[in-house]
Amino acid sequence: MAEKHKPAPMVDEVSDFEVLEVAVRELAIEKGLFSAEDHRRFAEFAHSIGPLPAARLVAKSWLDPEFKKLALEDGFTASKEVGIDWLNPTGFGTPSDYCDLRVLENTPSVHHVVVCTLCSCYPRPILGHSPEWYRTPNYRRRLVRWPRQVLSEFGLQIPADVEVRVEDSNQKCRFMVMPMRPEGTEDWSEDQLAEIVTRDCMLGVALPHPERKADDKRPVHKAANPVHGH
Amino acid sequence: MSRGHHAEKATGKGDPQCFRGEAPAPKFKVGDRVRIRDLPDIFYTRCQVYTRGAEGVVTVVTHESPAPEDEAWDNVDKPEWFYIVRFKQKELWPEYPDVYENDTLQTEFSERWLESA
Repeated sequence: MAEKHKPAPMVDEVSDFEVLEVAVRELAIEKGLFSAEDHRRFAEFAHSIGPLPAARLVAKSWLDPEFKKLALEDGFTASKEVGIDWLNPTGFGTPSDYCDLRVLENTPSVHHVVVCTLCSCYPRPILGHSPEWYRTPNYRRRLVRWPRQVLSEFGLQIPADVEVRVEDSNQKCRFMVMPMRPEGTEDWSEDQLAEIVTRDCMLGVALPHPERKADDKRPVHKAANPVHGH
Repeated sequence: MSRGHHAEKATGKGDPQCFRGEAPAPKFKVGDRVRIRDLPDIFYTRCQVYTRGAEGVVTVVTHESPAPEDEAWDNVDKPEWFYIVRFKQKELWPEYPDVYENDTLQTEFSERWLESA
């Protein structure tokens, strides 16, 4: 009877990769390659990066044709204007990615969408960490072959006369999409424009909309069975 | 070579910038029609199977770098040029719908994978 009611373990088993990470990290600390404090600081940094610098790059390009030209020709140099140095993205330590950023410009006749079929290549210094779905075999396998169907699952229908151009990021280049500036944003400031360029717009699975910001208020749903008096 | 030679070489320059000037002149230029070769890849490759044998057009000559098939084994002494190639989706997937015949896909190859078409 007691055997039957043996409680399930509270925590799932640790994966081999996690064991390996801890082992290598502890060896490196013992060897003096870096300290535990360095590691904590890097982990904190890694969790704080996001798509805001890339949104700023797009907004600046919409307003400044000279900057747009630079962004399309030399993403590495243009990134510095929005505070990202690909050689030293953390401000300490080593580069964390390859350094060849390519910006793909959407036009009325071409819509770009980015995938990495081989793993999950992603312009992390400027766009933060990739979303979970970007790393799934489902997205990686299907986007190259059925791009319009996958985009429609994201709620994005591209007209038949617009060329959908999939960019399979398989080598050292890193890609982000420069979406078209939506109507209804005339006279907007760079700050206002940057707010509507969300991460998904820069991967090509969404389009910017003047009424949709990355930090929009979330809807509040009232509890179905509220606690008495609350 | 030290164990950290790759990081040492890239520090202050970036990777692939640190291989600039190390490859022979590029064999292809923007606009060239190319076919993807079907080379053996029993150890490591980044050349997708779905592109083998397909024909496309070079759209960007990107940079110099050791090919991944070499770099995976730390053989970094023979960098080559890399190219972004654009394919018609119909060329890659025969069943791709005719109504979307303008759709394309771009991906990147090291020079060894390309031949003139």
